Amino acid sequence: MSAEAAVRMTGITKRFGAFTALEGVDLVVRNQTIHAVVGENGAGKTTLMKVLQGLHAADAGTLELDGKTVSFRRAEDAYRSGIGMVSQHYSIIPELTCLQNLMLGSEPGPLLDQSQAKERATRVASELGLSFDWDALAETLGPAGSQKLEILKLLWRESRIMILDEPTAMLSPADSDALYANLKGLVERGATVIVVTHRLPEVLEYCDDVTVLRGGKKIAAMATSETDAATLANLIVGRALDGPSDQTRPEPGEVVLELKGVRVLGDRGDEALRGVDLTVRAGEMVGLAGVDGSGQRELFRLLWGVARPVGGTLTLFGQDASNWSVRERIARGLRLVAEDRLHEGVVESWSLHLNGQLGFQRHPDREDSPQFTEELIQRFRTKARGIGDRIASLSGGNQQRFVVARALALDPELILAFQPTRGLDIAATEEIFAAMRAHCAAGAAALVVSFDLDDLIDHCDRVVAMNRGRIHTPAVELGRDRAELGRLMVTT
Amino acid sequence: MSGRLIALAFGIFVLIAAALVSTQVSPVTAGKLLFEGSLGSPERISQTLVLVTPLLIAGIAVFVALQAGLFNIGAEGQLLLGAMCGVVVAQKVPGFFGWVLGAIVGMAAGAAWAYPAVWIKVWRGGHEVISTIMLNNIALLLCGALVRGPLKGTQSESATTDPLPAGSMVPNLLQSGDLRINLALVVGLVLLFGVARFLLRSVGGFELRATGANPTAAAFAGVETKRVMVRAMLVSGALAGLAGAFQALAYEGRFYPDFSPGYGFDALGVALLAGSSPYGLLPAALVFGILSSGSALLTIEGVPKGIVGILLGLLIAFFAAVRYREVRSGG
Amino acid sequence: MAGEAIWLVNTAVMAAPLVLAAMGGLLSERSGVMNIALEGKMLMAACTLALIGASTGNAVLALFSAIGVATLMSLGHYLLTQTYKIDHVVSGMALNALALGGAKFLSDKFGDPTKSVAFLPIEVYIGSALILPVILGLWLAKTRAGLRLLAVGNSPEKCRQIGLNPLVVRFGALIGTGLCCGLSGAMIVTNAGQFGEYVTAGKGFIALAALILGGWRPIPTLVAAIGFGLIQAVQLQLQGVKIGAAEIPSEVWNGLPYLATLVALIVLGSKSRAPAGMGQH
Repeated sequence: MSAEAAVRMTGITKRFGAFTALEGVDLVVRNQTIHAVVGENGAGKTTLMKVLQGLHAADAGTLELDGKTVSFRRAEDAYRSGIGMVSQHYSIIPELTCLQNLMLGSEPGPLLDQSQAKERATRVASELGLSFDWDALAETLGPAGSQKLEILKLLWRESRIMILDEPTAMLSPADSDALYANLKGLVERGATVIVVTHRLPEVLEYCDDVTVLRGGKKIAAMATSETDAATLANLIVGRALDGPSDQTRPEPGEVVLELKGVRVLGDRGDEALRGVDLTVRAGEMVGLAGVDGSGQRELFRLLWGVARPVGGTLTLFGQDASNWSVRERIARGLRLVAEDRLHEGVVESWSLHLNGQLGFQRHPDREDSPQFTEELIQRFRTKARGIGDRIASLSGGNQQRFVVARALALDPELILAFQPTRGLDIAATEEIFAAMRAHCAAGAAALVVSFDLDDLIDHCDRVVAMNRGRIHTPAVELGRDRAELGRLMVTT
Repeated sequence: MSGRLIALAFGIFVLIAAALVSTQVSPVTAGKLLFEGSLGSPERISQTLVLVTPLLIAGIAVFVALQAGLFNIGAEGQLLLGAMCGVVVAQKVPGFFGWVLGAIVGMAAGAAWAYPAVWIKVWRGGHEVISTIMLNNIALLLCGALVRGPLKGTQSESATTDPLPAGSMVPNLLQSGDLRINLALVVGLVLLFGVARFLLRSVGGFELRATGANPTAAAFAGVETKRVMVRAMLVSGALAGLAGAFQALAYEGRFYPDFSPGYGFDALGVALLAGSSPYGLLPAALVFGILSSGSALLTIEGVPKGIVGILLGLLIAFFAAVRYREVRSGG
Repeated sequence: MAGEAIWLVNTAVMAAPLVLAAMGGLLSERSGVMNIALEGKMLMAACTLALIGASTGNAVLALFSAIGVATLMSLGHYLLTQTYKIDHVVSGMALNALALGGAKFLSDKFGDPTKSVAFLPIEVYIGSALILPVILGLWLAKTRAGLRLLAVGNSPEKCRQIGLNPLVVRFGALIGTGLCCGLSGAMIVTNAGQFGEYVTAGKGFIALAALILGGWRPIPTLVAAIGFGLIQAVQLQLQGVKIGAAEIPSEVWNGLPYLATLVALIVLGSKSRAPAGMGQH
């Protein structure tokens, strides 16, 4: 790796207040290669890419493109230097045509010559062996089509260095293969590609080099030919493969939750859950592992009653629950730590006291006494001046402590926790898992989503893996075997 | 207060000052005239209260909808229909039952006129502001056509219903000299406290406010947000209808096309000015009432009446900006 | 023969201000700024034209002042919705209140009914009303600025991601809205011959109705506005004509645009066709 590196980032440090997101990170991307950046959620991958795109200014470190030192003050500077990004949330506007989307932001001139633009678009697309109906509205494109259009957008902008964030998250296996074939083609024509991903098989199969980040630091960089999945997995997680810690597991009781062949449509109309089977018994704490976007969100929406299944059965406490309202679920003892706290979990402009009752307003044991809110605040030591504080005035971590306390109030029977310890320190994390464990010991059940596999292995009785809309349950004796779980999460 | 808000306040001040300077009336004099014109004598106080009554009740109407996240711009149309239907009923039914039934029918009419808007909102995704604007205009034309046609009275050449018999009007609770306080105003105050209690203390009010503040979180908390929105809009329409019915049955004693000088639109201003607490509706209605009734004296002194509209428009803008900052900064 | 010509003229005179205002609304709403303040902007323009036209006797100066004032109102709209981020409905209401008060104030204070107002010929406005939708249609489809307007109106967030500044686009769009509303208000007062606070008579809202019926597209909006103009022309012609024993009240005709819009909202809904980013920051 010498001077011909297309991108050379050296000693990049980025702080957000007291939090250090990146600490002296190096990234060297050879010209005309596909380079993978891997790491757990929160390892600093996205931040590093934002620095490269000029969206964040680094606090320290240098950036060289083709050996020349550059500094980006705005996203536009990076774009002019030929850096382009396809984000996980596509910037395709469904109401515009494919051609309009392609041009938007870098139109050839003040006047748009449709036929000329179409000609060039067709040429750009044919380089990748793609074809588009340019006059069709972009809303007719599926996820794969949208992504192809995004990549063409980079070609249209003549970006040389392309960043793709989790490019296969929304794609079927066949589409993923096709995508990488396209990327290979681009590289042969002179492009350099950086892929941010979770999926190790893709890294090993299609990428030339890989950089591993953990906790905001660069852990390793190597050619993919010199490594294997197990080594990479260890580098990503940073722990030796301990056997599961021995906790005395309570004898599981009656079936609380049973899903059979459940199918649910996602936002884009594609099948987000493709036949999910899952059984959770009283006394059990079940971890749901998987990379972001594997269908956890849709599963929780289904369990909570805000999404309806298009197939399969949902049984709660031995009864068909497909048509239960949210209110009924709450009354029966279901509790939720929502994925999107600010949209789904709280009313930002409200006080802690009002937010504490949100969801319990029609619960038979509802209490609107100040003590109730005080107890919620004290349970996980939420830092607040009083129950009258607006929840928006609390830090994210303190909001999280509060909503988790709320989800454990009034005798829960089934706790659905989506990243319950997000943004919390180790002490609080342990405390929250211990509290959930105590409820399970008393006969409740819990289903916990986390993107941190170790959190689940350390705390749950057993872990199931979610991958592309299906749940894979490992054999009983492998219920906390991280190698097996990792395989189920990222392969197949 | 942030720099931007100070700039806005300053801009507003300059605009008002310039308007006053152009009329050669000093701001102090203008303020004094406004005060005298609205509260300077028992007769003027009574006149102001006549304006405050519909502003308060229609203000409550708009406020309820606003708390549920709905802009009931249609209050004006609901108010007109309420007034017209109230008068029609009170003319047929003599005495006490005349105004009571009139008020009830007025509420029903207001609610009925609000329903299409919320139906379109909930089931068709059409913005309630657009539909209520259309409904307002239709109501205005409908009332005009009816009063010029079948409902036109026999005692007058102009387009108006016949006056109601005194017996079927809402009685004054207090009359000493020129000071009159009508039962309608007291009912308005009772409604204010009732609605405030409902919003702040009841489960239904909690769910309504949750729906308005964050519909997604409300749905996740088990609130049936569509049903809540429909009910809030119906209540809002009924209250706006009542405001109109009372205005006709307590003060005007008849119905005619230009019956409302824009009570329904001012009510939106009242509701916005009230801020987040329902109790803010009372001072807000008083401010609007005082400005409107006090402007008569200003006009005599050569300050055009439009100054009140300018002032109210700027007030609404300023308070909306302040409230946005409050919510954002969480303080 | 003459009868037909009158029909045509009446329709054109009634429709032109609606078309002009609706195009103003189109610019604003397709950029994502909900605009219920068309009425207020038109009213202020009408008032300005009458005042300046009477005091200077210069019709061109009067027209430019009218457009200038409507544009100023529109810049106020930008300030309220984008700088102060006030809800678009509230901003619109505030502007309408301000305009009604302002127009009353100015005409009471400076108006002089004895002076005659200098007007441009009405054909100027009818001509612009016919040309403007075509220009706008081409502009939206064929220019960079038009494409960006559509994009920002659909998703300001995604545009920011692409590197476009929604504020710049909306600023330009609102200036265009002011221009259109200025022309519209000027035409209304030109046709009326003098200013009164009721001169616009809700035409701003009928224009909004035409915009919705036209699905926020220039040519269909033009057609809807002409349809509304035709209804009003019919009403003018049928005044006093009895059908059977009863005379059709003018209100029936006047209400048709509103009713048509309501029915359209019920049948079609507006979610699918309204600019998706309306009201978003």
